[in-house]
Amino acid sequence: MSPTPAKPGAQVEKVPTYCYQCVAGPDLMTVKVVDGIATEIEPNFKAAGYHPAEGKVCVKAFGLIQKAYSPHRITTPMKRTNPKKGKGEDPGFVPISWDEAMSTIADKLNAIRAEGVLDGAGYPKVAASFGGAGTPTQYMGSLTAWLAAWGPIDFGFGSGQGVKCYHSEHLYGEFWHRGYVITPDTPRANYIISCGNNSEASAGVCGVYRHAEARARGMKKVQVEPHLSVTGACAAEWLPIRPKTDAAFLFSLINVLVHEAGRERLDLPFLRDLTSSPYLVGPQGYYLRDPETGKPLIWDEAGGRAVVHDAKGAVPALEGRFAVPRAIELGPDEDRWEHEDVSGATSFTLMAEHVRGYTPEWAAEICDVPAERIRRIANEFLDAACVGQTIEIDGQTMPYRPVAVTLGKTVNNGWGGAECCWARTMLNVLVGSLEVPGGTIGTTIRINRPVADRLKSVQPGPDGFMDYPFNPTDKASWSGQPNIRNAYKMLVPLVGNSSWSPALGPTQFSYMFLDDPQEHMPRATFPEFILVYRTNPVISFWDTDKVGRAFERMPFMVCFAVTRDETNHYADILLPDRTDLEGMQLIRIGGTKFQEQYWDCQGFALRQPSVKPRGEARDFSDIATDLAHRTGLLEKYNAAINRGSHGVPLKGANWDFSLPTDKVHTAEEIWDASCKAASAELTDGAETHGLDWWKVNGFRTKPFSPTNWFLTPTMAKMGLRYELPYQERLTRIGRQLGRRLKEAGIDWWDHQLEEYRPLPGWHDFPKYWEDHVVECGGKLADFPFWVVTARSMQYAWGSNMHIPLMREVSGNVKGHDGVVMNPAAAAKLGIREGDRIEVSSPIGTSVQGRAVLSEGIRPDTLLMMSQFDHWATPVAKDFDVPSMNRLTAMSMSLTDATGSAADLTRVGMRKVGDRP
Amino acid sequence: MTKWAMTADLGRCVGCQTCTTACRHTNNTPPGVQYRKVLDMEMGTFPDVRRVFVPVGCMHCDEPPCRDVCPTTATTKRADGMVMIDYDICIGCGYCIIACPYQARYKVSKPTFAFKDQATDNETKRFDQRLLGVAQKCTFCVDRVDAGLAKGLTPGVDPEATPACVNACLSKALTFGDLDNPDSNVSGLLRKYKSFRMHEELGTGPNIHYLWETEES
Repeated sequence: MSPTPAKPGAQVEKVPTYCYQCVAGPDLMTVKVVDGIATEIEPNFKAAGYHPAEGKVCVKAFGLIQKAYSPHRITTPMKRTNPKKGKGEDPGFVPISWDEAMSTIADKLNAIRAEGVLDGAGYPKVAASFGGAGTPTQYMGSLTAWLAAWGPIDFGFGSGQGVKCYHSEHLYGEFWHRGYVITPDTPRANYIISCGNNSEASAGVCGVYRHAEARARGMKKVQVEPHLSVTGACAAEWLPIRPKTDAAFLFSLINVLVHEAGRERLDLPFLRDLTSSPYLVGPQGYYLRDPETGKPLIWDEAGGRAVVHDAKGAVPALEGRFAVPRAIELGPDEDRWEHEDVSGATSFTLMAEHVRGYTPEWAAEICDVPAERIRRIANEFLDAACVGQTIEIDGQTMPYRPVAVTLGKTVNNGWGGAECCWARTMLNVLVGSLEVPGGTIGTTIRINRPVADRLKSVQPGPDGFMDYPFNPTDKASWSGQPNIRNAYKMLVPLVGNSSWSPALGPTQFSYMFLDDPQEHMPRATFPEFILVYRTNPVISFWDTDKVGRAFERMPFMVCFAVTRDETNHYADILLPDRTDLEGMQLIRIGGTKFQEQYWDCQGFALRQPSVKPRGEARDFSDIATDLAHRTGLLEKYNAAINRGSHGVPLKGANWDFSLPTDKVHTAEEIWDASCKAASAELTDGAETHGLDWWKVNGFRTKPFSPTNWFLTPTMAKMGLRYELPYQERLTRIGRQLGRRLKEAGIDWWDHQLEEYRPLPGWHDFPKYWEDHVVECGGKLADFPFWVVTARSMQYAWGSNMHIPLMREVSGNVKGHDGVVMNPAAAAKLGIREGDRIEVSSPIGTSVQGRAVLSEGIRPDTLLMMSQFDHWATPVAKDFDVPSMNRLTAMSMSLTDATGSAADLTRVGMRKVGDRP
Repeated sequence: MTKWAMTADLGRCVGCQTCTTACRHTNNTPPGVQYRKVLDMEMGTFPDVRRVFVPVGCMHCDEPPCRDVCPTTATTKRADGMVMIDYDICIGCGYCIIACPYQARYKVSKPTFAFKDQATDNETKRFDQRLLGVAQKCTFCVDRVDAGLAKGLTPGVDPEATPACVNACLSKALTFGDLDNPDSNVSGLLRKYKSFRMHEELGTGPNIHYLWETEES
């Protein structure tokens, strides 16, 4: 028998909506509602054929009903009554009316506005922290329009960015191939080398679906990581590599391809015509250039002479050294060298010489993996690459290279991340599998524009490459005065200056510089007003004790809250958040975005209330409109909505649903106009369905050809080359940055400047963390283990630790209940399964938890999954599961040139109690 | 005849527990009662280790030991293979729970809720007194199957007629269908893949078939 069905006469609805709790979304779902009560989450079966995973949602979506009905919810605005802020202080939150809450907030903002939006140091007085990856914007309705209307806001107080994201990949990937996020073309890939990329936990519904389909048709994945993750479990092979040595492994694969395999096995036309491989490099390390035009030179094998890179009819030489009668080199700033009878080596030749010493035998020592396995994997990669083959998609013949290399977060971040990104991209370049069917592709851009179209973002830049919006480092335009506290424009040319750049960071500097001012830079100040939504940085950042101490001192803090948590513990005002099942918003779906969200259609989906909001929770758009009204920004706010800052422009070629800018509009009115505009956008104005239609249908799309997933055809069509292997431009920019900083008297970024090299190479990256132990005053022998982390699909991004269902089902997956360690290593310390252990960090912090023994982890490594260690969040505060976030250091010496640090540290460990 | 069965492809399953949550929703089971769940199993010694995810639940056995020990005939087997419990007859003795070699049965004696003592609105709405003090387990979502059949739908193909765990499975590891129909999805998969059944040596005739690699490979 089954449970009691809905009683006869009960009103049963299936409400279409979306789940975008994590960056791997959005996914489409329906909520079964019986007599107004949400009872079940289901896939949106009508989305099969549109959504790449048949309209399914992952485990996290099933927690949304408990989220909505949780007795721990904040259901009214609240204010703090205890002026003392501290972890041990009771905030004394008491309910207040919406009017009092909004008046208090608006008074504060209006006072700031009256005195000027920047403080004396030049930093915005208003700051905001919205979690990672833009998912909060999928829930904050039209607040984005208020943010646009306000003006300068410091978005640099991040929530883990730079460690918990794919930071180096974001920057280098977007620079090299518009790949802010990089995935395999999983529907076609046959061989994937994954250095710690935890796709089965992190790539979302579409990732899990596609990788399972790929495995079923015989795709082989080699998982390279210190512990056997869920992705490793699903892979054909696990290579338990020593932490932070992935760059050596990848370099050695390149070595096999370049020095052991025959050249004919590489994609020579791709290298010759679509990369900078033929560009000649001069004695100063910069391209040899034509003295008249300044264009880089190549050696034309047909003419037997050096010609400019875009000379018609030239046959570029891929390898060799050639004598050039006249050439110049252009270095940093105005540096210029004029040469006669100079020898130039091709970039490819320099790259090949650069990797000559990186043999599998060399890497085996560093990585603690057998040389023969490295060599075999390199050759399997080559065999699977299908160099020379083509495939037809939607009538377009394209290269077919079904091999990919993916990187995980700790591989990607901090020292060594840039080298891994370069090596991964070069592996694909060598066989022509970059941005072609079956290969390694980018899905998202966040630094270039237009953000919704990777292909259109490809514009010609200097020297035959794509343009890129570097933060300038020339003398006239370098930003020596930071615009926000983390100084991203000043220090990180690659991070650009898009709306995402401030949150890309170095976000840790926003917290670090508050107490550790850096010489020759305006001292960081506390923002007078900080707004926090859908994030909990006191748990999800790293060095979280330091983050907590920063939030303790924030003068005025407003948090949207579902429940109490460790960050809103420090808030002055709490505003009740309408949960995922209660709010309304129209978002874009499809096309290509993030993880494996590349669709063969694109359009919009509506999130609509499937249940009545709890308590006094108001729709986010109504709150934003109220805020705009109270802060005197209504006209600017409405204008921003009309421009589409909330997701869809209300005016198009032959439609106009713009809202009058001088009036207060309800959330329903805003989204009704937005629905009409979206309908028109999808049909060139033929349809103008409003909110009622979208509430019934949930989503609508138009076709998006899979040929748009691949950048290479666009590059070829525009006559552009990928800026690989040689990093001439970056080196110049970096050296200019070095000069600017030196001129400003700044030497604390000197180590980071070393990352600007023409050809990234191996450095003893693990030693950086070992040296940090000594820097902290410790002895390496006292910190013999590495601790790493792994994403949990049940929790990642969901802000759902307070949902009992997630706790229950995550308990079925190993590692959610303690510190995972190898049994042999445990035995040496007298530790048995379930014993209580203490893990200590060189920064002086320690955490305790249960020992979870697993053969699927290296003896020198500990694993702390997810991000626990809650002390205020209901339900979660009783887990008694530690987090490594209290152990990892915010440190200048562990920050790389992109501003990221890696999610690992050396630790000590001891038993502190027997299993109860 | 019809014989309902399930296949679980171990090459596809990622252990995400989406099936577990979907089952918890659809069957409105109380905290900790997981008719469907996925085991996280590890074999070998470092560095030669395999980790595999194994969906488990009631196997709807051909010869169900739970039925044989039931003193009240509450547990029965339908002609289409589904093993059922009549809650009105079950006295909650628990023999079946011990007899089941798959640990698929549960018994809950008092109301339990996600947030301890406080029932949420949905828990109040769906509270089912019949399930207190009796054995309970996976039903293969019998109500969906039967209602779907009545509408002319095909269980395992049409979502409305298919068990919730199968519908929700992200990796398409779970498949439900008619084993007696040679053209069914499950029959096709069993021809294509090598398969085994759990504790087959016990003679229970379990009807979850685990697929692990193709016959060609």
